[in-house]
Amino acid sequence: MQTRTSLASALVSLLAIAAAAWAHHSPSAEFDMAKRVSLTGTLTKIDWVNPHIVAFLEAKGADGATENWRMESNPPAWFRRVGVSRNDLAKGIGQTVTVEGNRAKDGNLYMYMLKITFADGSSLELVNNAVTEASTQ
Amino acid sequence: MNYRLPAAGAAVVFALCAAAPLAAQDKAAKPQIAPRPLRAPDGHPNLDGIWAFAIDLPPAALKKQTASGVAVERVDQSSRQDATNVPGALPSTPAPAYKPEFQAKVKYLFDHESKEDPVFYCGKPGVPRIGSPRRIVQLPGEMIFLYEDISGDPWRIIPTDGRPHLADASPSAYGDSVGHWEGDKLVVDVTNFAEDGWFGEGGYFHSDAMRVTERFWRVGQNLAYQFTVEDPKVLAAPWTAPPRLVKPSNEPLEESPKCVEADGKLLLNSDHHGQR
Repeated sequence: MQTRTSLASALVSLLAIAAAAWAHHSPSAEFDMAKRVSLTGTLTKIDWVNPHIVAFLEAKGADGATENWRMESNPPAWFRRVGVSRNDLAKGIGQTVTVEGNRAKDGNLYMYMLKITFADGSSLELVNNAVTEASTQ
Repeated sequence: MNYRLPAAGAAVVFALCAAAPLAAQDKAAKPQIAPRPLRAPDGHPNLDGIWAFAIDLPPAALKKQTASGVAVERVDQSSRQDATNVPGALPSTPAPAYKPEFQAKVKYLFDHESKEDPVFYCGKPGVPRIGSPRRIVQLPGEMIFLYEDISGDPWRIIPTDGRPHLADASPSAYGDSVGHWEGDKLVVDVTNFAEDGWFGEGGYFHSDAMRVTERFWRVGQNLAYQFTVEDPKVLAAPWTAPPRLVKPSNEPLEESPKCVEADGKLLLNSDHHGQR
């Protein structure tokens, strides 16, 4: 397996905060917030459930074997309020997509999804308030 | 599996800068909310209507990139934040004070919030933790509160016609409520709580003796909300929380998707959500 991770740029740290200060469990107790990883595969399913939506991805491992990844992200109520419905993600089912996020610390094929890029090049990405606030000044 | 480096930070910051004007345009296009009368037909303050979502959500914004450009959307969480200088608010403190013999317990719960908080496992937040209602239906002699929450979509029916508390109700997360008007405030007295919940994220456990007083009033077009928690078994004194100001909304209520908690078994430490 070929694994390359971010060199912990300040920006990535800021982005990680996006999932860190909510009133659910601490992502740092479950995910490696210092590493942002990326993988490409086929989106197979979207579960629009609380407390986190869950996306499922089928990807190939370094040995060619199929890996089934489970990727949670923010809650449905959050997505609704930034103008994203289940259909906006489910449109990618069956397509090749690229996902970035923080992988589970226990090594399972599980991550906190921060960004998804669809086959047509469009993308949805969680970004930190601090960054966006700065961008508007 | 093929991992790769994420996009360069500078490029993302540039994209966010470019996104700001588009985001502003999107917000400007949203329908306006018609002003609401300050008084109901019976002369009481008018609390009726849809109010902003007041459940805590992640603080992130969302960047949407399409062929037509980039936009950034963020969630307005002002209804969940403490407000200052709210006319009519009672003096408040940031946190409750527990009796000395319970301070170690509340600290333990706070430190182990990820594993100990029942709300993290789809539990009901109860009153007052759920915050202000998403919709208030104001009727003569009765108020109906509707909420959207990850644990389900609770409702409360609050008599305001002088009826007493129910004599034989079983304890519950949202308790038994009766309301009355004090000047321009709706005052809701809530008792009969199940004691397995928390009244706040800080490990704020309570006993079966908890009593909550909620106050609702209008400040211009906004709804003001403040609560007081009394629990003589565990608290050293009643706690009045800082007030919140809730904006009017025209976003219709939606059924909340089912709650399926799958993270608990994956937690490798007890970080509470404020730690990283």
